[in-house]
Amino acid sequence: MTNTGTDVEAGDRQGAETAQAAPRRLSPLAIVIMVIVLALLGVLGLQLIEANRSQPTGGPAPDFTLQIFDALGGGTFTLSENRGKVIVINFWASWCAPCRDEAPALQQVWEAYRARGDVVLLGVDYVDNTQDALAYIAEFGITYPNGPDLGTRISDAYHIQGVPETFVIGKDGNVFQFIYAGVTARDLAAIIDRALAQ
Amino acid sequence: MRADLIQPRNLWWGIRWLVLVAVLFVLPLSVYAQGGGDGQPIREVTDDEVNDISSRLYCPVCENVPLDVCGTAACARWRAQVRTLLEQGKSEDEVIDYFVTQFGQRVVGTPQDPLLNFLAWAVPAGAVIVGAGVVAYALQRWRERATSPALPEAAAEPQTPDDAYRARLERELREEK
Repeated sequence: MTNTGTDVEAGDRQGAETAQAAPRRLSPLAIVIMVIVLALLGVLGLQLIEANRSQPTGGPAPDFTLQIFDALGGGTFTLSENRGKVIVINFWASWCAPCRDEAPALQQVWEAYRARGDVVLLGVDYVDNTQDALAYIAEFGITYPNGPDLGTRISDAYHIQGVPETFVIGKDGNVFQFIYAGVTARDLAAIIDRALAQ
Repeated sequence: MRADLIQPRNLWWGIRWLVLVAVLFVLPLSVYAQGGGDGQPIREVTDDEVNDISSRLYCPVCENVPLDVCGTAACARWRAQVRTLLEQGKSEDEVIDYFVTQFGQRVVGTPQDPLLNFLAWAVPAGAVIVGAGVVAYALQRWRERATSPALPEAAAEPQTPDDAYRARLERELREEK
Protein backbone atom coordinates (compact mmCIF):
# COMPACT_ATOMS: atom_id res chain seq x y z
CA MET A 1 0.00 0.00 0.00
CA THR A 2 2.83 2.31 0.72
CA ASN A 3 4.02 2.26 -2.80
CA THR A 4 0.58 3.22 -4.26
CA GLY A 5 1.63 6.83 -4.59
CA THR A 6 4.80 5.81 -6.39
CA ASP A 7 2.82 3.65 -8.74
CA VAL A 8 0.43 6.50 -9.45
CA GLU A 9 3.37 8.80 -10.20
CA ALA A 10 4.86 6.16 -12.48
CA GLY A 11 1.55 5.85 -14.29
CA ASP A 12 1.36 9.60 -14.56
CA ARG A 13 4.83 9.73 -16.12
CA GLN A 14 3.91 6.89 -18.44
CA GLY A 15 0.82 8.79 -19.51
CA ALA A 16 2.85 11.90 -20.08
CA GLU A 17 5.37 9.95 -22.12
CA THR A 18 2.56 8.47 -24.18
CA ALA A 19 1.23 11.96 -24.78
CA GLN A 20 4.70 13.15 -25.77
CA ALA A 21 5.18 10.19 -28.07
CA ALA A 22 2.01 11.07 -29.97
CA PRO A 23 1.85 14.90 -30.22
CA ARG A 24 -1.47 16.34 -31.25
CA ARG A 25 -1.49 17.41 -34.88
CA LEU A 26 -3.19 20.65 -35.94
CA SER A 27 -6.24 20.05 -38.04
CA PRO A 28 -6.25 21.50 -41.57
CA LEU A 29 -9.05 23.85 -40.54
CA ALA A 30 -6.94 25.28 -37.70
CA ILE A 31 -3.99 25.76 -40.05
CA VAL A 32 -6.18 27.57 -42.58
CA ILE A 33 -7.64 29.84 -39.93
CA MET A 34 -4.17 30.61 -38.60
CA VAL A 35 -2.93 31.49 -42.11
CA ILE A 36 -5.91 33.80 -42.71
CA VAL A 37 -5.47 35.51 -39.35
CA LEU A 38 -1.73 35.95 -40.00
CA ALA A 39 -2.43 37.40 -43.46
CA LEU A 40 -4.93 39.86 -42.03
CA LEU A 41 -2.49 40.85 -39.31
CA GLY A 42 0.17 41.34 -41.99
CA VAL A 43 -2.10 43.64 -43.97
CA LEU A 44 -2.97 45.65 -40.87
CA GLY A 45 0.70 45.88 -39.94
CA LEU A 46 1.68 47.14 -43.37
CA GLN A 47 -1.10 49.72 -43.24
CA LEU A 48 0.07 50.84 -39.83
CA ILE A 49 3.64 51.20 -41.08
CA GLU A 50 2.43 53.16 -44.11
CA ALA A 51 0.27 55.43 -41.96
CA ASN A 52 3.12 56.17 -39.57
CA ARG A 53 5.63 57.13 -42.23
CA SER A 54 6.57 60.76 -41.93
CA GLN A 55 8.32 63.30 -44.08
CA PRO A 56 12.02 62.63 -44.69
CA THR A 57 14.27 64.93 -42.69
CA GLY A 58 17.54 63.50 -43.94
CA GLY A 59 19.00 60.93 -46.29
CA PRO A 60 18.54 60.73 -50.06
CA ALA A 61 15.66 62.80 -51.35
CA PRO A 62 13.15 60.67 -53.31
CA ASP A 63 13.66 61.22 -57.01
CA PHE A 64 10.80 62.41 -59.22
CA THR A 65 10.01 64.05 -62.51
CA LEU A 66 7.63 67.00 -62.57
CA GLN A 67 5.73 68.14 -65.63
CA ILE A 68 6.01 71.91 -65.67
CA PHE A 69 2.91 73.97 -66.50
CA ASP A 70 3.00 75.23 -70.08
CA ALA A 71 2.35 78.74 -68.78
CA LEU A 72 5.76 78.55 -67.04
CA GLY A 73 7.67 77.22 -70.02
CA GLY A 74 6.57 73.58 -70.07
CA GLY A 75 9.02 70.68 -70.14
CA THR A 76 9.96 68.51 -67.23
CA PHE A 77 12.13 68.76 -64.14
CA THR A 78 13.90 65.68 -62.81
CA LEU A 79 15.44 65.96 -59.37
CA SER A 80 18.31 63.54 -60.00
CA GLU A 81 19.41 65.54 -63.03
CA ASN A 82 19.99 68.58 -60.84
CA ARG A 83 22.50 67.10 -58.42
CA GLY A 84 25.00 69.75 -57.33
CA LYS A 85 22.33 72.39 -56.88
CA VAL A 86 20.30 73.35 -53.86
CA ILE A 87 16.68 72.49 -54.67
CA VAL A 88 13.77 73.99 -52.75
CA ILE A 89 10.64 71.88 -53.22
CA ASN A 90 7.47 73.63 -52.11
CA PHE A 91 4.19 71.71 -51.99
CA TRP A 92 1.20 74.03 -52.36
CA ALA A 93 -2.40 74.23 -53.55
CA SER A 94 -4.59 77.07 -54.71
CA TRP A 95 -7.24 76.16 -52.11
CA CYS A 96 -4.72 76.41 -49.26
CA ALA A 97 -4.82 79.69 -47.34
CA PRO A 98 -1.35 79.43 -45.71
CA CYS A 99 0.08 78.77 -49.19
CA ARG A 100 -1.24 82.12 -50.29
CA ASP A 101 0.49 83.74 -47.32
CA GLU A 102 3.90 82.34 -48.22
CA ALA A 103 3.65 82.66 -52.02
CA PRO A 104 5.12 86.19 -52.18
CA ALA A 105 8.04 85.11 -49.96
CA LEU A 106 8.87 82.18 -52.23
CA GLN A 107 8.85 84.38 -55.32
CA GLN A 108 11.04 86.90 -53.49
CA VAL A 109 13.58 84.19 -52.65
CA TRP A 110 13.54 82.92 -56.23
CA GLU A 111 14.26 86.40 -57.55
CA ALA A 112 17.12 86.77 -55.07
CA TYR A 113 18.84 83.47 -55.96
CA ARG A 114 17.79 82.90 -59.57
CA ALA A 115 20.88 84.55 -61.10
CA ARG A 116 23.28 82.27 -59.17
CA GLY A 117 22.26 79.20 -61.13
CA ASP A 118 22.95 76.79 -58.28
CA VAL A 119 19.63 77.25 -56.54
CA VAL A 120 16.35 75.98 -57.96
CA LEU A 121 12.92 76.73 -56.53
CA LEU A 122 10.27 74.24 -57.52
CA GLY A 123 6.54 74.37 -56.86
CA VAL A 124 4.60 71.11 -56.69
CA ASP A 125 0.88 71.72 -57.01
CA TYR A 126 -0.91 69.25 -54.75
CA VAL A 127 -4.44 67.96 -55.62
CA ASP A 128 -5.58 71.03 -57.45
CA ASN A 129 -7.60 72.02 -60.49
CA THR A 130 -5.31 73.18 -63.27
CA GLN A 131 -7.33 76.32 -63.94
CA ASP A 132 -7.29 77.32 -60.28
CA ALA A 133 -3.56 76.60 -60.09
CA LEU A 134 -2.78 78.74 -63.13
CA ALA A 135 -4.93 81.55 -61.73
CA TYR A 136 -2.96 81.32 -58.47
CA ILE A 137 0.36 81.46 -60.33
CA ALA A 138 -0.79 84.50 -62.28
CA GLU A 139 -2.17 86.18 -59.15
CA PHE A 140 1.16 85.99 -57.32
CA GLY A 141 3.34 86.56 -60.39
CA ILE A 142 5.15 83.26 -59.81
CA THR A 143 7.96 82.65 -62.31
CA TYR A 144 9.78 79.65 -60.85
CA PRO A 145 9.01 76.16 -62.25
CA ASN A 146 5.71 74.74 -61.08
CA GLY A 147 3.75 71.69 -62.05
CA PRO A 148 0.92 69.43 -60.96
CA ASP A 149 1.58 66.42 -58.76
CA LEU A 150 -0.26 64.03 -61.04
CA GLY A 151 -1.61 61.05 -59.14
CA THR A 152 -0.03 62.52 -55.95
CA ARG A 153 3.07 60.45 -56.68
CA ILE A 154 5.55 63.09 -55.51
CA SER A 155 3.64 64.02 -52.36
CA ASP A 156 3.31 60.33 -51.55
CA ALA A 157 7.05 59.82 -51.99
CA TYR A 158 7.69 62.67 -49.57
CA HIS A 159 4.88 61.56 -47.21
CA ILE A 160 3.52 65.06 -46.90
CA GLN A 161 0.65 65.49 -44.49
CA GLY A 162 -0.73 68.72 -45.88
CA VAL A 163 0.21 71.95 -47.57
CA PRO A 164 2.25 74.02 -47.45
CA GLU A 165 5.30 71.89 -46.77
CA THR A 166 8.80 72.64 -48.04
CA PHE A 167 11.91 70.52 -48.44
CA VAL A 168 15.38 71.93 -49.05
CA ILE A 169 17.56 69.41 -50.86
CA GLY A 170 21.31 69.81 -50.51
CA LYS A 171 23.86 69.69 -53.30
CA ASP A 172 24.58 66.06 -52.38
CA GLY A 173 21.00 65.05 -53.10
CA ASN A 174 20.09 64.53 -49.46
CA VAL A 175 17.26 66.23 -47.63
CA PHE A 176 18.90 69.19 -45.91
CA GLN A 177 15.87 70.68 -44.16
CA PHE A 178 12.18 69.94 -43.91
CA ILE A 179 9.91 72.90 -43.17
CA TYR A 180 6.52 71.81 -41.88
CA ALA A 181 4.58 75.09 -42.10
CA GLY A 182 4.74 78.25 -44.14
CA VAL A 183 8.08 79.96 -44.71
CA THR A 184 9.29 83.53 -44.59
CA ALA A 185 11.77 84.91 -47.11
CA ARG A 186 14.37 85.54 -44.43
CA ASP A 187 14.19 82.09 -42.88
CA LEU A 188 14.23 80.32 -46.23
CA ALA A 189 17.17 82.40 -47.45
CA ALA A 190 19.10 81.50 -44.29
CA ILE A 191 18.45 77.79 -44.85
CA ILE A 192 19.49 78.03 -48.51
CA ASP A 193 22.69 79.82 -47.52
CA ARG A 194 23.51 77.06 -45.04
CA ALA A 195 22.82 74.42 -47.69
CA LEU A 196 25.06 76.25 -50.17
CA ALA A 197 27.86 76.43 -47.61
CA GLN A 198 27.61 72.70 -46.87
CA MET B 1 -21.66 67.71 -123.83
CA ARG B 2 -24.27 67.71 -121.06
CA ALA B 3 -24.83 64.06 -121.64
CA ASP B 4 -21.14 63.52 -120.86
CA LEU B 5 -21.43 65.40 -117.56
CA ILE B 6 -24.13 63.19 -116.13
CA GLN B 7 -22.40 59.99 -117.00
CA PRO B 8 -22.28 57.55 -114.03
CA ARG B 9 -18.52 57.94 -113.80
CA ASN B 10 -18.74 61.72 -113.33
CA LEU B 11 -21.61 61.32 -110.89
CA TRP B 12 -19.51 58.92 -108.83
CA TRP B 13 -16.62 61.41 -108.70
CA GLY B 14 -18.99 64.18 -107.65
CA ILE B 15 -20.33 62.12 -104.77
CA ARG B 16 -16.81 61.34 -103.61
CA TRP B 17 -15.92 65.03 -103.60
CA LEU B 18 -19.04 65.87 -101.63
CA VAL B 19 -18.22 63.22 -99.01
CA LEU B 20 -14.66 64.53 -98.75
CA VAL B 21 -15.86 68.10 -98.27
CA ALA B 22 -18.30 66.93 -95.60
CA VAL B 23 -15.63 65.06 -93.70
CA LEU B 24 -13.09 67.86 -93.86
CA PHE B 25 -15.28 70.87 -93.16
CA VAL B 26 -18.87 70.18 -92.28
CA LEU B 27 -18.38 67.57 -89.53
CA PRO B 28 -15.76 69.53 -87.54
CA LEU B 29 -17.93 72.63 -87.78
CA SER B 30 -20.97 70.75 -86.55
CA VAL B 31 -19.00 69.40 -83.58
CA TYR B 32 -17.75 72.90 -82.81
CA ALA B 33 -21.27 74.29 -83.10
CA GLN B 34 -22.50 71.73 -80.54
CA GLY B 35 -20.19 73.22 -77.95
CA GLY B 36 -16.89 72.22 -76.39
CA GLY B 37 -14.95 74.16 -78.97
CA ASP B 38 -15.56 77.47 -77.27
CA GLY B 39 -15.99 76.09 -73.76
CA GLN B 40 -19.76 76.09 -73.97
CA PRO B 41 -21.46 73.07 -72.38
CA ILE B 42 -22.72 70.53 -74.88
CA ARG B 43 -25.43 69.31 -72.50
CA GLU B 44 -27.26 70.28 -69.38
CA VAL B 45 -26.06 68.57 -66.20
CA THR B 46 -28.32 68.15 -63.17
CA ASP B 47 -27.25 68.33 -59.53
CA ASP B 48 -28.29 64.71 -59.14
CA GLU B 49 -25.79 63.63 -61.80
CA VAL B 50 -23.01 65.60 -60.11
CA ASN B 51 -23.90 64.21 -56.68
CA ASP B 52 -24.15 60.68 -58.02
CA ILE B 53 -20.59 60.74 -59.34
CA SER B 54 -19.34 62.71 -56.34
CA SER B 55 -20.71 60.00 -54.04
CA ARG B 56 -18.38 57.54 -55.79
CA LEU B 57 -15.37 59.78 -55.13
CA TYR B 58 -13.59 60.72 -51.93
CA CYS B 59 -12.21 64.10 -51.00
CA PRO B 60 -8.50 63.94 -51.94
CA VAL B 61 -7.36 65.77 -48.81
CA CYS B 62 -9.87 64.75 -46.13
CA GLU B 63 -9.90 61.35 -44.44
CA ASN B 64 -12.61 59.04 -45.79
CA VAL B 65 -15.09 61.82 -46.62
CA PRO B 66 -17.14 61.25 -49.77
CA LEU B 67 -16.96 64.19 -52.15
CA ASP B 68 -20.73 64.70 -52.26
CA VAL B 69 -20.96 65.43 -48.52
CA CYS B 70 -17.61 67.17 -48.03
CA GLY B 71 -18.09 70.73 -46.85
CA THR B 72 -14.74 72.30 -47.66
CA ALA B 73 -14.20 74.94 -50.31
CA ALA B 74 -11.78 72.61 -52.09
CA CYS B 75 -14.47 69.93 -52.37
CA ALA B 76 -16.90 72.48 -53.79
CA ARG B 77 -14.33 73.19 -56.50
CA TRP B 78 -13.93 69.51 -57.26
CA ARG B 79 -17.69 69.08 -57.51
CA ALA B 80 -17.67 72.00 -59.92
CA GLN B 81 -14.95 70.17 -61.83
CA VAL B 82 -17.22 67.09 -62.01
CA ARG B 83 -19.98 69.27 -63.45
CA THR B 84 -17.63 70.87 -65.98
CA LEU B 85 -16.38 67.50 -67.21
CA LEU B 86 -19.94 66.17 -67.55
CA GLU B 87 -20.93 69.32 -69.44
CA GLN B 88 -18.05 68.64 -71.80
CA GLY B 89 -19.63 65.30 -72.62
CA LYS B 90 -17.44 63.06 -70.48
CA SER B 91 -18.98 59.83 -69.21
CA GLU B 92 -19.06 58.87 -65.53
CA ASP B 93 -16.10 56.54 -65.95
CA GLU B 94 -14.13 59.21 -67.80
CA VAL B 95 -14.77 61.69 -64.99
CA ILE B 96 -13.59 59.17 -62.40
CA ASP B 97 -10.54 58.32 -64.52
CA TYR B 98 -9.71 62.03 -64.70
CA PHE B 99 -9.83 62.33 -60.91
CA VAL B 100 -7.69 59.22 -60.44
CA THR B 101 -5.11 60.55 -62.91
CA GLN B 102 -5.03 63.94 -61.24
CA PHE B 103 -5.32 63.01 -57.58
CA GLY B 104 -4.38 59.35 -57.32
CA GLN B 105 -6.16 56.16 -56.30
CA ARG B 106 -7.20 57.63 -52.98
CA VAL B 107 -10.15 59.41 -54.62
CA VAL B 108 -11.78 56.06 -55.30
CA GLY B 109 -10.90 54.64 -51.90
CA THR B 110 -8.30 52.15 -53.15
CA PRO B 111 -4.98 51.67 -51.34
CA GLN B 112 -2.20 53.53 -53.11
CA ASP B 113 0.59 51.20 -52.18
CA PRO B 114 0.83 48.50 -54.89
CA LEU B 115 1.39 45.77 -52.29
CA LEU B 116 -1.55 46.90 -50.17
CA ASN B 117 -3.64 47.26 -53.30
CA PHE B 118 -2.81 43.69 -54.25
CA LEU B 119 -3.49 42.42 -50.73
CA ALA B 120 -6.78 44.32 -50.54
CA TRP B 121 -7.99 42.23 -53.47
CA ALA B 122 -6.04 39.03 -52.86
CA VAL B 123 -6.83 38.47 -49.17
CA PRO B 124 -10.65 38.45 -49.51
CA ALA B 125 -10.42 36.39 -52.69
CA GLY B 126 -8.00 34.00 -51.02
CA ALA B 127 -10.23 33.76 -47.96
CA VAL B 128 -13.20 32.81 -50.14
CA ILE B 129 -11.19 30.17 -52.00
CA VAL B 130 -9.71 28.73 -48.81
CA GLY B 131 -13.12 28.82 -47.11
CA ALA B 132 -14.65 26.91 -50.00
CA GLY B 133 -11.83 24.37 -49.72
CA VAL B 134 -12.42 23.95 -45.99
CA VAL B 135 -16.15 23.42 -46.51
CA ALA B 136 -15.47 20.88 -49.26
CA TYR B 137 -12.96 19.08 -47.04
CA ALA B 138 -15.37 19.00 -44.10
CA LEU B 139 -18.22 17.72 -46.26
CA GLN B 140 -15.95 15.03 -47.65
CA ARG B 141 -15.00 13.89 -44.15
CA TRP B 142 -18.62 13.86 -42.98
CA ARG B 143 -19.56 11.81 -46.00
CA GLU B 144 -16.74 9.34 -45.28
CA ARG B 145 -17.86 8.98 -41.67
CA ALA B 146 -21.47 8.52 -42.70
CA THR B 147 -20.62 5.79 -45.19
CA SER B 148 -18.07 3.89 -43.01
CA PRO B 149 -19.44 0.81 -41.06
CA ALA B 150 -20.38 1.46 -37.45
CA LEU B 151 -17.79 0.21 -34.98
CA PRO B 152 -18.47 -1.29 -31.59
CA GLU B 153 -18.49 1.36 -28.92
CA ALA B 154 -15.46 -0.05 -27.16
CA ALA B 155 -13.45 -0.22 -30.36
CA ALA B 156 -14.56 3.23 -31.48
CA GLU B 157 -13.32 4.84 -28.28
CA PRO B 158 -9.67 3.97 -27.70
CA GLN B 159 -8.38 4.10 -24.20
CA THR B 160 -6.49 7.22 -23.35
CA PRO B 161 -3.79 7.36 -20.68
CA ASP B 162 -6.33 9.03 -18.42
CA ASP B 163 -8.67 6.06 -18.77
CA ALA B 164 -5.92 3.59 -17.91
CA TYR B 165 -4.93 5.67 -14.90
CA ARG B 166 -8.52 5.91 -13.70
CA ALA B 167 -9.10 2.17 -14.12
CA ARG B 168 -5.97 1.38 -12.15
CA LEU B 169 -6.88 3.83 -9.39
CA GLU B 170 -10.36 2.40 -9.05
CA ARG B 171 -8.98 -1.13 -8.99
CA GLU B 172 -6.53 -0.28 -6.21
CA LEU B 173 -9.25 1.51 -4.21
CA ARG B 174 -11.41 -1.59 -4.46
CA GLU B 175 -8.51 -3.73 -3.26
CA GLU B 176 -8.04 -1.39 -0.26
CA LYS B 177 -11.63 -1.98 0.78
